[in-house]
Amino acid sequence: MLNLLEYVLRGLLTGAVYGVLALPLSLVFLTTTTIDFAVGAYALVAAVVAAQIGGVFGLVAGLGAAMACSAVLVFVLVLLKRQRGDYRISFILASIGLVVALSSLVFWAKGPTALLNGTVGGVAHLGPLILPYAGLINLAVGVSLLAMLQVVLFKTHAGKVMRATAINPKAASLAGIRVPVVEASTILAGGLLGGTAGILLYYSSGLDFNSPLTLSFAGFGAAVIFGMERPLRCFVGGLILGVVEAISAGYASGAVASMLPMLFVLLVLSVSHAGSARFSGDRP
Amino acid sequence: MNQPTKSLGAMLRHIAICALAVAAPGLHAQDTKPPLRVGLVLSLSGPAAAFGIPERDAIQAVAADVNAKGGVDGRQLELVIFDDKTNPTEATRGVTQMATNEKVVAVIGPGTGGGILAAGPVAERLKMPLLAPAGTVAVTDKKNSFYPWIFRTIPNDFTSIRVLLSAAVKNGAKRIAIIYQEDPFGKLGMEHAQKLAGELNFEVTEAVSAPQTSTDLSAQALRIRNSKPDAVFVQLSIPPLGAAFIKSIRQLQVNVPTYVGLGLSQKAFFDAVGADGEGLRVASIGSLAHDPSPTEKKLAALLAKNGKVPTGWAELAGTSGLMAIMAAARTVQGEITPEKMRNALETTCGFPVFVDAEPCYSADNHDAWGEDSVKITVLRGGKLTSR
Repeated sequence: MLNLLEYVLRGLLTGAVYGVLALPLSLVFLTTTTIDFAVGAYALVAAVVAAQIGGVFGLVAGLGAAMACSAVLVFVLVLLKRQRGDYRISFILASIGLVVALSSLVFWAKGPTALLNGTVGGVAHLGPLILPYAGLINLAVGVSLLAMLQVVLFKTHAGKVMRATAINPKAASLAGIRVPVVEASTILAGGLLGGTAGILLYYSSGLDFNSPLTLSFAGFGAAVIFGMERPLRCFVGGLILGVVEAISAGYASGAVASMLPMLFVLLVLSVSHAGSARFSGDRP
Repeated sequence: MNQPTKSLGAMLRHIAICALAVAAPGLHAQDTKPPLRVGLVLSLSGPAAAFGIPERDAIQAVAADVNAKGGVDGRQLELVIFDDKTNPTEATRGVTQMATNEKVVAVIGPGTGGGILAAGPVAERLKMPLLAPAGTVAVTDKKNSFYPWIFRTIPNDFTSIRVLLSAAVKNGAKRIAIIYQEDPFGKLGMEHAQKLAGELNFEVTEAVSAPQTSTDLSAQALRIRNSKPDAVFVQLSIPPLGAAFIKSIRQLQVNVPTYVGLGLSQKAFFDAVGADGEGLRVASIGSLAHDPSPTEKKLAALLAKNGKVPTGWAELAGTSGLMAIMAAARTVQGEITPEKMRNALETTCGFPVFVDAEPCYSADNHDAWGEDSVKITVLRGGKLTSR
């Protein structure tokens, strides 16, 4: 029983990063009804810049670099929206292209170096349980970001503007809301959140130039479990995915352990209608 | 009367000068032998670039030195480079291009076991010997129809695993836990370690896998801790994965000797694992990057001359391929063709390399590298040191 509890706690710490990666996907989906798969690349860029510069300034510069990368997709969105037709698939493809481009750029600049900073070492002893400080910090940061997002989305004017844009962009535009500005801000905020996930990984489990697509898919997996329209659901999805992964790795044989989390996602999506209306084009 | 004689003499001199002028280019051509063209199909991008780039750099450094000293029996080395992108399809394309367009005499590569297995049938069809810088056991399996064309340039995985686990048992380990990555390298290594358990007299307490794309291995580390091993064997090759695992077992205070396979014997892993890697026992082909032997120092000097810093065993793997080709070329009579090169490689034995070992190819043994080529080193202060 104690072992199970330890796996669950470990899974929550791992899942917190998945949850943070899912938040930008949720935000961008909420306002633009498309998906920014480049979150994993923002994470990598933030980690590379933070590692290169070092210190607090490195962290700030890393987050800035991640936002700068997301600005590329703002530009892409503006261009795509000028064209007639559905821009969403093109935007998704562009974001995957950005992942490949940024991964290659990092490889070219830094080679196959693994980005891992061991300065947040140490463990907390909770009775017989041992939990790493880095993981606990990840969870705390994840919960804090979620709380901030919830406040911004549901308690502030900016949040109302975002939700209005999401519900009906034309009506929002007629009401004086500058929809393109809202969409651009959301994508930039996604870059910031993706960069934050990268910083958390840099100080906990590490990443390298191969990580971005894996991270993007981990975030996407977390986001779709309970529906992408609510950041809270996305974050909880990340936590649960982390727990399923940890329990699978702890108890299942090697042959199926890595398959179980994806089977879990499939199962939930098959039996649950959470988020189905959203995918069909309805508004929250 | 003298006039005709003078004219005849002058004419003979002219004829002699003309004959020399005509013959000179031919004589010159006989002195200058055609170059020895060697193909490099290495992983210069993608996950295996950590090995491919230093392999290329070291081969280029050695080739430049050989050429400066007059080449291989008067033949200048010409390197033709192709990036297989850590992709078996690209590896196959690279070997095809080397054989059909570039007319090389042998190829060093492809850069990964998967790439070599994919390119093997092509090498067989186009009759192109491949010098394989990979430990994947299957590449020199005699059941492969392309076996005659593949020659390994590093010890195979089973050899290095055996050396590592023998050292663990010798140091008192009776209960060994295994972490491996979910790919042929990891799975075959884990299965071989389990087979060795009976022979070397140890028990496998747990064999835990991790996907290559894992971002966190704390659950796997927890499972290993719960199995109460007295040693851990790490069969991973991806630096962040290895570093994350070592960090996790350190956090869980699993303070038993940890034996790391050849796959992680690379600078990227040592840099990433940092202080948590202190005391790790690491299988390696020498210790070029940190504690080079006198033989390895020669290669380190060549790399330094070319502005390169040694990273690990990849430089040794790559240059061993080139040294084998050079040794074989010296034994070939007349024009060197890929087929003659293959035949010569099969009789190349005890040739000089930058590794403290004596590789020996034969018709029955394309592995060449014995247990003497694997060293157990210890990671101290971020550097591999001989024990």
